Amino acid sequence: MLSPFRVVTPTTIPEAAAELDRLGDAAQIYAGGAELLLLMRHGLLEPDYLVNIKRVPSLRGIDWDGQALRIGAAVTHRELEQAALVHDHAPTLGEAERHVGNIRVRNQGTLGGNLCFADPHADPGTALLVHDATVTVEGARGPRQLPLDDFFVGTYETALEPSELLTEVQVTPLPDGWGWSFERLERFYRPTVNASAAVSADDGHLGQVRLAVGCVGPRALRLRELEDKLRGLRLADAQRAIAQSGPYLEERLEPVSDLLGAADYKIHVTSVLLGRALEQALAGTGGRQ
Amino acid sequence: MIDGEARLETVQTVAMSLTVNGEPWSGEVPVEEVLLDLLRGRIGLTGTKRGCESEVCGACEVLVDGAPVSSCNYLAFEADGRSITTIEGVGDGEQLHPVQEAFIRNAAAQCGYCTPGQIMSAVALLREDLSPTYESIAHWLVGNICRCGCYPAIARSIMEAASELRDSTNDHPR
Repeated sequence: MLSPFRVVTPTTIPEAAAELDRLGDAAQIYAGGAELLLLMRHGLLEPDYLVNIKRVPSLRGIDWDGQALRIGAAVTHRELEQAALVHDHAPTLGEAERHVGNIRVRNQGTLGGNLCFADPHADPGTALLVHDATVTVEGARGPRQLPLDDFFVGTYETALEPSELLTEVQVTPLPDGWGWSFERLERFYRPTVNASAAVSADDGHLGQVRLAVGCVGPRALRLRELEDKLRGLRLADAQRAIAQSGPYLEERLEPVSDLLGAADYKIHVTSVLLGRALEQALAGTGGRQ
Repeated sequence: MIDGEARLETVQTVAMSLTVNGEPWSGEVPVEEVLLDLLRGRIGLTGTKRGCESEVCGACEVLVDGAPVSSCNYLAFEADGRSITTIEGVGDGEQLHPVQEAFIRNAAAQCGYCTPGQIMSAVALLREDLSPTYESIAHWLVGNICRCGCYPAIARSIMEAASELRDSTNDHPR
């Protein structure tokens, strides 16, 4: 049984922000409920109010504005998994979405909810980081835009201010000719480790490189120092460099031992998945069939 | 629809109407009630099972407008105006659904507790794809746990039902 609560149902973003401002700590944002209702059932959260943002039409769309994909925060994982626009412009995200939870979780859970919950064991964030995705958050004082990289702060922690809600995620496609990949090792639905790569090729060598890893530590991260090191290398040399980067990965990712794996195991799996991700992304450069 | 200003000591209810297996139902439901309790408690359809209550096991799976959801973690008021299908509604009267027939033929259950959810997933999958592979079945049913370990028989049943449904679609083109 869930403890009693009340539901308020704004129909615009300013209304939603005003409700959050008015209700303060007594309210939680309710989108799909996939994560929130679990926390409430286990008594970890007991909000007096749920601010139901599903009736705000502008939070429900997937649009292409000619430069970026604009995804409303209340779009479900299943909608993203099936959207042609996502597969055309951000297939990395489409692949990550295909693996979220199970079919029921994907029907109910939303991208915004997933990002705001900031569970480190999540897939979409890792894929979005290689796209340099940005997010718009909106509160009583108006909207602001920030990189997803700055939105993620730590375990269950984001840059959202108390009365703010995430309204939109902007995803820029990878440049022409780049290859991409999303690799994942899973136990009990939630990924133990995931890794995403996006690369360009330059005469058989790696050109530009973007790497992101999730689930290992408190939050999903880009590995910019490693990306710099791999630029210009041949695949085999790059994979060797990854295999030798254990100390860097450990320092950067701050691995946490949990039911999904011990810290040293996660670092080992990370380097294996990164090597595979790089190989697969490189194979897809120059246009993917 | 929802009165957000009343005191918290009173229960906030929603007047809602939905169809369950084609039958209309209307009533007042507290906002915190989940669909599983509406179906089992108020409507009396106990084929849908309470399992992990964490969206993991799939025993409580029902279709909302054709889409599988965990009824244990789905607020009932969300079903207002929608069409719900439970295990009681997948057959046609006394005529079992081909998936149900195949489950029986293959003994795809031992204790049977997960079976309603397994069948709801299978029916939803076959509505989308009448030519599944073992891989696509595994992807769809990864969220339906069978602790008796009947997975091979479950997958075989879905393949057989798919084949039957393909044949009957060919016999009676729409």
